Amino acid sequence: MPSRRRTLLKVIILGDSGVGKTSLMNQYVNRKFSNQYKATIGADFLTKEVQFEDRLFTLQIWDTAGQERFQSLGVAFYRGADCCVLVYDVNVMKSFENLNNWREEFLIQASPSDPENFPFVVLGNKVDVDGGNSRVVSEKKARAWCASKGNIPYFETSAKEGINVEDAFQCIAKDALKSGDDEEIYLPDTIDVASSSQQRSTGCEC
Amino acid sequence: MHETELNDLSDDADYAASLQQGSASMTRSDSSRRSSSSEPDGAEVVYLKDNVTIHPTQYASERISGRLKLIKQGASLFITWIPYKGQSSNAKLSERDKNLYTIRAVPFTEIRSIRRHTPTLGWQYIIVVLSSGLAFPPLYFYNGGVREFLATIKQHIFLVRSAEDANVFVVNDFQDPLQRTLSSLELPRAVPVANGRSSSLSASESPTDKNQVRADGVAVDGSLSSIQNNGRQRQKMHDPARDLSIHVLEKFSLVTRFARETTSQLFRENHSEGFGGNERRNHSQSSHDYHQNAASIDVEKVPDEVPVAPDPLEKSPCSNRGEEAATNVGTFELIDSKEIDKLTVWGKPRQPPLGPEEWATFLDSEGRVTDEKALRKRIFYGGVENNLRKEVWTFLLGYHAHDSTYAEREYLVLIKKSEYETIKNQWQSITQDQAKRFTKFRERRGLIEKDVVRTDRSLSFYEGDDNPNVNLLRDILLTYSFYNFDLGYCQGMSDLLSPILFIMKDESESFWCFVSLMERLGPNFNRDQNGMHSQLFALSKLVELLDVPLHNYFKQNDCLNYFFCFRWILIQFKREFEYERTLRLWEVLWTHHLSEHLHLYVCVAILKRYRRKIMGEQMDFDTLLKFINELSGQIDLDAILKDAEALCICAGEHGAASIPPGTPPSLPLDTGLLYAQQDDEVL
Ligand SMILES: Nc1nc2c(ncn2[C@@H]2O[C@H](COP(=O)(O)OP(=O)(O)OP(=O)(O)O)[C@@H](O)[C@H]2O)c(=O)[nH]1
Ligand SMILES: [Mg+2]
Repeated sequence: MPSRRRTLLKVIILGDSGVGKTSLMNQYVNRKFSNQYKATIGADFLTKEVQFEDRLFTLQIWDTAGQERFQSLGVAFYRGADCCVLVYDVNVMKSFENLNNWREEFLIQASPSDPENFPFVVLGNKVDVDGGNSRVVSEKKARAWCASKGNIPYFETSAKEGINVEDAFQCIAKDALKSGDDEEIYLPDTIDVASSSQQRSTGCEC
Repeated sequence: MHETELNDLSDDADYAASLQQGSASMTRSDSSRRSSSSEPDGAEVVYLKDNVTIHPTQYASERISGRLKLIKQGASLFITWIPYKGQSSNAKLSERDKNLYTIRAVPFTEIRSIRRHTPTLGWQYIIVVLSSGLAFPPLYFYNGGVREFLATIKQHIFLVRSAEDANVFVVNDFQDPLQRTLSSLELPRAVPVANGRSSSLSASESPTDKNQVRADGVAVDGSLSSIQNNGRQRQKMHDPARDLSIHVLEKFSLVTRFARETTSQLFRENHSEGFGGNERRNHSQSSHDYHQNAASIDVEKVPDEVPVAPDPLEKSPCSNRGEEAATNVGTFELIDSKEIDKLTVWGKPRQPPLGPEEWATFLDSEGRVTDEKALRKRIFYGGVENNLRKEVWTFLLGYHAHDSTYAEREYLVLIKKSEYETIKNQWQSITQDQAKRFTKFRERRGLIEKDVVRTDRSLSFYEGDDNPNVNLLRDILLTYSFYNFDLGYCQGMSDLLSPILFIMKDESESFWCFVSLMERLGPNFNRDQNGMHSQLFALSKLVELLDVPLHNYFKQNDCLNYFFCFRWILIQFKREFEYERTLRLWEVLWTHHLSEHLHLYVCVAILKRYRRKIMGEQMDFDTLLKFINELSGQIDLDAILKDAEALCICAGEHGAASIPPGTPPSLPLDTGLLYAQQDDEVL
């Protein structure tokens, strides 16, 4: 079976406008937070080298605009994704309720070969705000939703304080890598339509 | 009724007949008769609907009606939409304009999904989304029939309703890998007609005598013809080489699970390189004299690696970005040096900005601008001094009429101030308690609040905590969202307002100037992204006209959706230049001197500057997007403006014809329901 693995892992960050997608990406890649980031228009990505088991991978992290109106652009950006990160703001109920829409929209537009097992990771961001007093989505509620969608790994983060960001992206990268394993990039000798039915564990061991 | 006239594309006899019938019934004799003139052999019309209309603009007078058909040939299904000939009530809509929108035999293998809109009020329409991510403009079914249309498709190809959105129908979206592979095997069969999208279905007399092949064996690209001729002079070609490559494709698709992707990739490449040549050779020389001169700087296909033929406009890769010394600033050499007539157009040197003394000469004693055109032209070449902007911008934006007097303007300002206060009061009077039960309002306000604190905060005018100007941004945007509730607030608007408030300082004045700007740019923010799509579409046509190799490169690399220019266009390059430079660019764009769509030529000019780098480094879509995003702050505005001017002049009326009517920021001609189709969005 395949031995040549991909070295580029593509990750898409989705979520309502203002939940902190750009901030999370920058915190992870550049280890800094600025409150002068602009609202994202169109899309952009940052890359970071990650190492697993003595091998180097390039994590390509795509940051897209959160406003619903721009979603028709998704087709061009979601294609070929290995993992999708869904972000909400623990202080904004609506951003949590919208996770389902984001997930579904992603599956429609990216149309991964195995939607059931496509890896998602959910981040509840801005846990630092007001010492947690203004939060409206409980961790329990969020975890319950993640469990109902096939055990999506869940992290509570603060892009501002750098809480849990590294861990979350470690998991994201791992999941992306596993997803990448399923797809081959070389041509088999014969038609091989069965091999994509390999099982991949959902969830994340980290 | 509609007058009809004969041409090789249309089926006016049928159309007249169907008008009498008033239905979409289709008889066998119809299609067989047609097949002798326009349908390819063995093709069968399986669905036909009249009065399917597109709305390029919000104005009823500019709608284009046509006939929608589904055509089956072998195992492949094609969609066509051909506008009626000579039916336009509006002289502004030339045949050329209509042809821009014509859908010529697009195979369903190139279609990703169809979104259906069946509002309870108003017409049903569909949006056809291509695999490339581009979408055709909404097709309105004036006589209904969307359901029948979808049902017909279902009979012939694999169409599934999206589980997530009942109004989205996904084409060939097989979850099962086996089916997926099988579907891909159909693709090669689609090639002959797909490639001949212009040829097979719009065949006419043989133009072989007019063949035009350059001495070096490279066909002169006839890209302009898609604007000009629209297939009239094309013919169905049976090219053995093409058949061979189809054969290879078929073989290839047998051995790989990912045939679908790969085959479509190959298909695209073959389509643009190999097959395109057939098409190209078929154009009459006369219709391309201009084109050869203007655009054929280099028609060779882009090789797989460097070197790329240089373009006089491009930025030398070894010179530092942002420095102009090394390049031939503002020169635009229009033709290949091998060609006979050398034609060179220069963008005029930039002038110093308009100052107070000169400004005074444009005004009569009562404050009227006596020569509007001269003023616009003057500003086009030099812009305006900063302290004059507050006054001059109100004219450029159309807030004040040029023939208004000082007194009239003073009066208008007062009236408008109270009008602004009235609208502002509408949301200010919403109590906290009321807001609790007013989700839309809370969400809209939340979105605006999140954006204004992320808008130009490094500028001293907006920096620091509790900056009153940031609050002004919020108030104006929230008021605007009540002024134009249907459009509401969309990200990007705060970027457009920021410079206006920075210049105008006054709240009400800023609001009304912003309103004027949004009259032009509002469609950028439409829910269906129509305004953006039409601009990106026009941009691709302009590049095709002005830089054929670059166009071909984008085509081969799946970059034709031009999404990498999205930010440029949405907020008028606001993020691409330093603040002061943006102000300069905007006032130049707002003059509408030479073209309302200078911003699209600015896009072309920037792309042309970096074309060697783009093609030489073989940038794919991702790399290109990143490259373009990172050009921010690196672009020399004056040089680009000169190039854009030169390009605009070169493109001339062919350029103008590449831009569909109503493409933003075209000014409104009459009023109507501007944002009617947006009722299904919250914000
Ligand atoms: N307190 C706090 N604020 C945050 C955090 N993350 C982001 N923010 C702030 O929230 C706002 C939005 O952050 P962005 O990262 O720009 O949000 P986004 O999701 O990229 O938004 P769009 O680009 O509009 O889709 C900014 O003002 C950030 O400073 C966080 O963890 N804690
Ligand atoms: Mg962002």
